[in-house]
Order: sequence, then C-alpha cells, then structure tokens
Amino acid sequence: MTLDPIVITLIEAVVKTIVVIVALLTAFAYLTLVERYVIAKIQSRIGPNRVGAIGGIALLQPIADAIKMIFKEDFWPSQADKIIYTIAPGIAVGTALLAWAVMPLHPSTEIFGYRVDFFIADVNIGVLYLLAIGSLGVYGIVLGGWGSNNKYSMLGALRSTAQMISYEVSLGLALVGVLMISGSLSLVTIVEKQSFIWNVVWQPLGFIIYFIAAVAEVNRLPFDLPEAETELVAGYQTEYSSLKFALFYMAEYINMITVSAIAATMFLGGYQGPFGILPGVHWLVLKIMFFIFVMMWMRGTLPRFRYDQLMRFGWQVLLPLALANIFITALVMLVVGA
Amino acid sequence: MPVDYLPILVMIAIVTAFAVIALTLSAMTGPRRPNPTKLSPYESGMPPFGSARRRFSIKYYLTAVLFILFDIEIIFFYPWAVLFRDLGWFGLSAMGTFMLVLLIGYVYVWRKGGFEWD
Amino acid sequence: MSVTAPVAPPNTPNYNDPQIVAEQIKTKYPDAVESSSAQGIVVQSDQLREVARYLHDELAFDYLNNVTSVDWQDRFEVVYNLTSLERGGAPITLKVNAARENPSVPSLVPVFRGADFQEREVYDLMGIRFEGHPNLRRILLWDGFEGYPLRKDYKEPYYEEEKKPFGSRWDKGHHVIAEDRNPWHDNVQYPSNFDAVAYKPPRDQIQVIDAAQAAAMRLRTDKIVLNFGPQHPSTHGVLRLRVTLEGETVRGVEPIVGYLHRNHDKIGERNTFVGNMPYTDRLDYFTSMANNLAYALTVEKLLGIKPPERAEYIRVIMAELTRWQNHAVALGFIYNDLGAFYTPLIYAMEERELILDLFEATAGSRMMCNYMRFGGVARDVTDDFIAKCKYLVNERLPRRTDELEAYMVGNEIFHSRAKNIGVLPRDLAINYSTAGPVLRASGVKYDIRRAEPYSIYDRFDFEIPTGTTGDLYDRFIVRVAEMRESLKILKQALDQFPAGEIMTGKKNYQVRVPKGEAYGRGENPKGELGFYVVSDGTANPYRYHVRGPSFINLTALNDMCVGYKIADMIVILGSLDIVMGEVDR
Repeated sequence: MTLDPIVITLIEAVVKTIVVIVALLTAFAYLTLVERYVIAKIQSRIGPNRVGAIGGIALLQPIADAIKMIFKEDFWPSQADKIIYTIAPGIAVGTALLAWAVMPLHPSTEIFGYRVDFFIADVNIGVLYLLAIGSLGVYGIVLGGWGSNNKYSMLGALRSTAQMISYEVSLGLALVGVLMISGSLSLVTIVEKQSFIWNVVWQPLGFIIYFIAAVAEVNRLPFDLPEAETELVAGYQTEYSSLKFALFYMAEYINMITVSAIAATMFLGGYQGPFGILPGVHWLVLKIMFFIFVMMWMRGTLPRFRYDQLMRFGWQVLLPLALANIFITALVMLVVGA
Repeated sequence: MPVDYLPILVMIAIVTAFAVIALTLSAMTGPRRPNPTKLSPYESGMPPFGSARRRFSIKYYLTAVLFILFDIEIIFFYPWAVLFRDLGWFGLSAMGTFMLVLLIGYVYVWRKGGFEWD
Repeated sequence: MSVTAPVAPPNTPNYNDPQIVAEQIKTKYPDAVESSSAQGIVVQSDQLREVARYLHDELAFDYLNNVTSVDWQDRFEVVYNLTSLERGGAPITLKVNAARENPSVPSLVPVFRGADFQEREVYDLMGIRFEGHPNLRRILLWDGFEGYPLRKDYKEPYYEEEKKPFGSRWDKGHHVIAEDRNPWHDNVQYPSNFDAVAYKPPRDQIQVIDAAQAAAMRLRTDKIVLNFGPQHPSTHGVLRLRVTLEGETVRGVEPIVGYLHRNHDKIGERNTFVGNMPYTDRLDYFTSMANNLAYALTVEKLLGIKPPERAEYIRVIMAELTRWQNHAVALGFIYNDLGAFYTPLIYAMEERELILDLFEATAGSRMMCNYMRFGGVARDVTDDFIAKCKYLVNERLPRRTDELEAYMVGNEIFHSRAKNIGVLPRDLAINYSTAGPVLRASGVKYDIRRAEPYSIYDRFDFEIPTGTTGDLYDRFIVRVAEMRESLKILKQALDQFPAGEIMTGKKNYQVRVPKGEAYGRGENPKGELGFYVVSDGTANPYRYHVRGPSFINLTALNDMCVGYKIADMIVILGSLDIVMGEVDR
C-alpha cells in the first residue's frame, strides 16, 4: 500500500509536532524546578526538596505545581474585556510554541530505511519566520494587559511592548552578520555550514548583541521591567490566575528556550558537536542549557535597570553597534574575499 | 515550495487546539467563588477609581513608529545579506547609501530627544 | 525662606542652658517669655513663631527634634525640643500653653518643615489646631474618627478606671476579662449620622492639568494619581503612597499612614514604666535593643540613676550589634527595591541570624528582646556570649561587610541607578528634621553619640561617616561606613569589657519615678529615637510620647522624589529605611 506523499508529510508533521510540544512542556516544567534550585544555591538556601525528592531535589515538584495550577480558581475580573482577557494567554503560549516549527534539532538520519528529518519544517526563510513569530508574541502580552483593565497590567503591557519591539530591532540586526557568512535564511543550511567552525568566532560582537537583546526580549533580569515587582506588582500578569497564569508563565519559559536555541543554532553550531561524540540533539540541549543557566545566574545576582535607561541602551547603544557590526563584517568579507 | 509550509499549518492547528483545551480546562476545573472584592481590579488594596484605559504617553507611539522603520530596514537587510557574496562592493555601496538616509533620520530623532524617556 | 544656620560667634554664651536662652529671647521679645526653668521655656502663644524664627535664625537652633503635647486637664501644653546641630548638646525645651476649649497655637511649619507630620499627629491625637499649617488633617487615625484619644477625658473601648498594675482579677473566684467588664459599645463613638455600611471614604480625584501647563509640555499626556499600597509589594509594610504621575515622572508623593496605628502613646500611659519596655520593642522591630536603650535612658534621667559599668558595656555591645544587622538588612532591602532577586538580602540575613542568636542567648528572644531595665540590664551575659561575639566581630562581620560592599557598591547598574537620584540637600535635610543616616548622607556631621554622648560612647574612638550630595548612593555608602564604625566600637567594647554588677540597686518590678519630665534620646540605626516622658509620681507615666525617626524621615519623602522616575521613588523610599511599626505607632 502506498500513501500519497502529502498524507505522509501530514502524519509526519502531526507526530513531530506532538513530540516537540510535549518535550517543550516538560522542559518548561523542569526549568521552573531547575531555576528554583539554581537560585536557591546562589542564595545559599536549600531549595525545593519535598515532593518526590531524590537526592534532595524535589523531582515531582513541577507535577505538583501543575496540578495545583489546574485546580485553582479561574476568574474573570468584572471590568475585564472577557474575550480578550481569555485568549491573551493562549496567544502568548501559541506563538511561543510555533517558533519551534523551523528549529533543526538533529542531523537527518535513516531509520528503517526511511529518511527522518529532525525538524518540523525546513522553510527557506526560517530566520524571517522566527522573527515574525517572535513579534507576534507581543500580542499575547499587550492584549492581556489591555483585557485586564487594570492600571498595573496596562502599564506593564505597554512597557513590555515598547521594550520588546525596541530590542527586536537589535536582535534582528545582530543576526544579519551570520546570514552574510552563511548566505542562507534556512536554519538547517546555517547549521550545516558551521560544521567546521562556529559562527561565534567570526561574529563575537553580533553574538554579544544578540544575547543582550534576547535577554531583554524574554524580559529577564536585568531587563525584567514589564513584571517589575517593586513598581508594577506583576505587570501584565497581575489579574491572572489558574491555568491562564500558567500559560503566560509557560510562554515566558518557552521563549527563553527559543532564544537560547536560536543563539545556539546561529552562533554555536546548533546540533553540531566537536569530534562527532554524542548524538546531535544532546549538543543542542547542552548549549541551550548553558544559555538558560546564564540567564538564571543573572537573575540571582543583578538589580534591574530603570525604564529610561533600558530604552536608551537599546536605541542609543545596541542599535548603532549592531549596524556597525554589519558594515565591519561586510568590509572584512570583501577585503579578505578579494 | 508551498508544501514546505504544510507542517507549519499542522503545527498551528495543534497549538491552537492545545491553547483551547488548556483554557477550557482551567475554566472547568477549580472552584468558582466570585465576590465583588475578588473581581474588582487590584489597585494596592484601595477601591479602584477610573478606567485603566486612559491616554498614555506619546513615547509609546513614537517607539512603535521607530520600530516599524527599523523593522522594515531589517527586512531589506536580510535578502541583501543572503546575496552579499554575489553583490560585492556594489551591494555594500547601495546598502551604504540606504543606511545613510536612514541614519540621518536616526540622528534627527536622537537630537530631538526621541530616545529620552521623561 | 532661608534655612541655613549662621555659625554662632566664638564667644557665645552657653545656649544649652534654657535660662540663658530665655534671657536672650527677652532681649529681643520682652514679653514673649512667660516663665523659664530647667524644664523649659514657656512662651506666649501669639509670639511663638517669632520666637522660633529668632531661635532658628539668630541662635542657630536649626533642628526641631520633637513636637508633642501634654493634657494638663486645665490646659494643653505643646512641647517643642530644639537643637543646634552645630553646637550639639542636649535639646532645649520650648513650651506653649493652649486653652482647654478650642485649643490652637501657631504652626511652626513655616520655620521648621519637619513640624509638618508631627503637628498633624498632635492635632490628630490631642485635638490642638495649628494655625497656618498647610495641610492640617488627621494623619494616624481615619478621617471620620471622632474624639481625640490622647486627651485625658477620652474613653477608649474597653476603658477601665483602674490602671496597671491591676488588682487580682480572680478575687471572686472567677476570672473576668476586660471585655466582659466593659462591653465595647459603651465607649465607642461614631461620627454623627455615621452609617458603617453606606460610608464611603473621600475619593481621590483624578487631576487633569490645565491648558497652560499642557501648552508648556507640548505633548500632552494625562497626569494620573496612582495608589501605591497599602497592599503593594514594595511599600515596606502597610504604607500607602498617593503618587501624582506625569508619564513615568513623579510630580508629588503623599504618604498616607496609620494602617498599623495602635496609639502607642495611650497604651504607654496605662502601662507601668517597666511595663512599657516590651512595647518599645514593637516600635522598630528590627532594632528592639536600641529602642530599649533609648527608653531606659529617658526614664533613668527622671530617676537620676546610672547603670553600673558592666551594664553600660553590655548596652553598647547590644546597640551596636543591632546597628550592624539593621544596616545590613536595610542595604539588602534597597537592593530588592532596585530589582535584585533577594540575593543580597539573604546574604545579609545570614549574618543577622547569628546576631539574633546572641540576642536569644542573652535576652531569651530574637527580635522582641525586652532586655534593658532602668539602671541596668535584665540578665548577665555569659563568657560563651563574649567568645561568640568576639568571633563575630573580629572575623565574620568584617568579612561580610567587605563582601557586601564589594558586591553591592561595585555594581555598575547600581551606580547608574543610585547616583544623583533622590537628592536631599543639606539645608532641607536639617529643616525637615530628618535623622540618622539620611541626615548624615546629606553632609551633616551629626550623631547623638558624639553630639550629646550618652551611656559610655564618649570612651570609644569612632568616626561619623557623612555623604556629600545626599543622594541615594550616599545614603547607601553611609550605611556601609556606619557598619564598619559599629564594628570598631564593638571591638573596643569587647576588649575593655569589665566584670561586675549589671544592675544599680536591687532588682524590682516596679519603679517609683519622681515627678518631672524628660526628653531622652538615642542614636538608633534609623535615626534619633526620642522619648518624652512626663511622670506625676504614680506608677504610670502621665504622658509618654515617642519620636519615631521613621515617621519624621517620611516627611521629606515628597521633596526627595519629585522629578524622578517612579522606579526611583521606590528605591528612595527604601533608602529612608522605614519600619511601619514605628511610623504608625
């Protein structure tokens, strides 16, 4: 029996999507645990060690948290815009997950004589797709803030939007250098081209700009202004409870994984590891873990910027640097290439 | 090829389903004990006054406009970057001219205090 | 209005003597002084402001320590304590009499802006009007409250005729609690036509700027009034700030306090003198040892006794340990307000726990120590305590001080957020009666331990750290420097620690305090903690007033915040290091 290639593609896509989503949700759940544990160690505390503890680490804590979240009261504030208020967390988590459609996870392999690609879609404009989906993520936040009809939510959402779009410019420009070296917008091609040497060697400045912008993009310390507890309580999440709150939280962590994965893919050779040891996906996970650990580390140690300092830094420091990086790359490539 | 985008469509469908299930689940499980105080917007423990949807600072609009400008610039940069090896010096000078025009605007905004938040 | 104090000419008479000051006033205002004694100068109410301005401008009494009032049943008496920061020494006392019916005296806010909250407090609790006060409203009690609780004829709910110490409550074989003896509704008063269900508090109006202002701003945005607190993660307790915002910039801050009010003064009048000691713990619950010390000093002034050597040393050791831990935690909280995720605070807490262990080992309690007594301390310290304390003072605490300084003062983000933020100029700091690190950060070299040395502080060698600009950064590093100075004092005190008694006279649970009044004060970690105690010779104080440094430092908040961003306001509030237990009392 032969199947229509389209049907095969469809079945393949469904399976891969479900695997990726389940993997991401599990990763999110355990990242919360890892974060609590890492921060506890930084602060010389013990950290979570009760629920299903093995070796002093509460391995079942994320599951307990999930169950708690599901059975919490879910309410709609009386002045809220009910529809917008409800769909906002869905948009946030949806866009966060969608970014993973183009992420290459592992080299393509033959399994039972059937070629399996370890990415959901290899579109020829992968980087553009990532940027586009990343921009959509703002909608979840701004709609959540607007729908709540709460002053803290509103201000948090506005700040968040302004911050994210400001740093997105630098984020996008920082990647241009990599594209010039790779000559492709497909993430798979970009990874394959780094089999000899990682892009970070040619693009150190671009890498630093990207990482700073990425931290600002996912609202982590020292750029966590949108949820600045000391001023805005919980920012756009103030009025949310139950699973709706969990979805925002989920979106935030998945975005962390995503920007780390993009950093690994664009600058650190993606699933390519040295010496061919360990299967590819392990390398990608290791690199992602490295970035996430750095973000947690920063959270444990740094105070935050003031809003005007943050905006000024984005527009007056990061943006000119990113532009300069492009032109330096272009000049070096032309002079050395000639 | 359009068929390349088919998996993305599948993913959009599945992700939407996930979001809908999660939101319905949260609405179904859990207790429902609303009271006027609980449902009123949080305002540091005081009765809220006025709507949150008031006019806000013009700076946010300005930032949005700037973002659109520079985002379009990024869109121009990407195909240029991909084809940069083929375009060579000509490509650099063309993009340089384009950048120069943009930079004039950028410097103007800077000088006018468009990046100052106060 | 000029707020600078002219430097007194070199051969001035001793202005710390009220008699001489009274003579000076008489030369200028012949009929202003009613009488003068060591207890204070009584001035005519209608010339009070002139006299105050004369004292401020000519005699350099530039600092208003304390404003309070006493109800003498036939008249009210408003009491002012004034100091010259230049000369130091004990404050002089200025008194004004007011009639029992419709009492009113001129406000001193035009001369001393630090009188603002204090006069409001007197108005609130005693019902004396201050003519010319810019904002004379209730401050600790709610706006609809009726009656003035500190008046002697005010009967609170559960009012009882007898005072502590009570007779036996078991005398008929049954324990009768106060609530049963006096059903509360007998005494509760509501405003006329008060309906608790329908009552709506006066609502804050949203301000819209006028056209001229809008034209000046060109880009018009709404000026909004935002509530910070009482339930807000960064207001250090149940403090409410009514903030006028223009975009992100603060245009005005009005602290609204009183959510924790329990009328500490009135409770003090119904307690015995010793019975008040544990209540002082609850003022600023971070520094209970230092609170105890200030209160003990005040009553000892009335009693005319001095504790033995060993007790003095124990007191100083306790007070300085308190200062170290309070400042360490304050620095951690400032960092929290800057947005750090608790790490510096928890590092500070780690050492604080060790200090609290020492308190627990000695006083039996970690925070509410209730340790000092009149003429000594409650329990002796052991050799083990001294050994542990020496280890802390010589090894752990200096190391942690260096570590905290390296991590926190060296941080670039901290520099960019703290320098030139929340500036309180020297003149304003004095005029606002701010105290402690806030005053010193503005460049005033004033520390009660040096200016009017109490206990045995004159024996130790230590510096008074000061700042230069009075910004957030200065308030931060002044605290770090004070931690170092505390350790210096502790080292000396532990080296000289003598053997001997810890109590003057025999241990007793009841003291008879002779008739009189005294204003006693100590340099608390947060500033000048003053107690004004009037004794009529009975077992209970006739009047008991607390000058809380947190409360009075809050007066300056508005001037410190205007023009800065809302994120800065939070940190500026943090840098005042307030504790609501002391603000609301």
